[in-house]
Amino acid sequence: MSGDQEGGRPVITVDITCDLMDEDETGYVWTFLHEARDPGLIEPGAIVVAGDEDAPAVAEVIDIVEKPAGRIVHLRVLPGVIEDYVALITRAANSAS
Amino acid sequence: MSQLERQELRPSLRDESAPTDGIVVVRGGPTSLAKVVSHAQRTHDAFVLDGEPIWGISVFCALDDLGGASLDSLLHRFASYRVVHLPRVSQLRQAGFDLLPTFGRPHYTVTLSGPDQADALLAALGKAEPNPYHERRPGRR
Repeated sequence: MSGDQEGGRPVITVDITCDLMDEDETGYVWTFLHEARDPGLIEPGAIVVAGDEDAPAVAEVIDIVEKPAGRIVHLRVLPGVIEDYVALITRAANSAS
Repeated sequence: MSQLERQELRPSLRDESAPTDGIVVVRGGPTSLAKVVSHAQRTHDAFVLDGEPIWGISVFCALDDLGGASLDSLLHRFASYRVVHLPRVSQLRQAGFDLLPTFGRPHYTVTLSGPDQADALLAALGKAEPNPYHERRPGRR
């Protein structure tokens, strides 16, 4: 996340672009691996920022599967909104200092 | 990319009645022409329907008053969207769009004939409204 502000909201850089409403037969959100900013970040179990700059979300990479159209990443969107996770980390870091 | 290289969507269609005109459709926003095209392109690149190209974007329909397919539950589920578009099914139909019951209930794919219909779909989605679950978060100070 950068320190820049847009309309009072922090500007978020997503790890993998997707439509958070795109679900497939697995019940998970799907997108193409080539939508990742750095595909090396995308591996099962990784916690990433998914979506787009207007609607980012924290998500867990479930798997990467070969499909006819290419490599598909399945994502489990974690509860809450990204600001909750920012607040959590800030609170934890301040408590530790 | 040939159509043979895409997944057939037909087996993933639910066998159920079409949603009635008064049902509220939930689409995360803010949506722009570029986003509609981009999302429809992704669907196009991944799927075909009966072997033919398909363009579409995902939506969820508030089919029930209570439970996971209720409007309240969907707004909560999609709290990452600070705004949402909430057209009625009738608004999409009147603009010429079909809703395919794809994958798990209450997910639907709104189909377009092609990217040139994106502006009409954007208009049919209507103005975005604040999602009350985006700001109303417990434990955040």
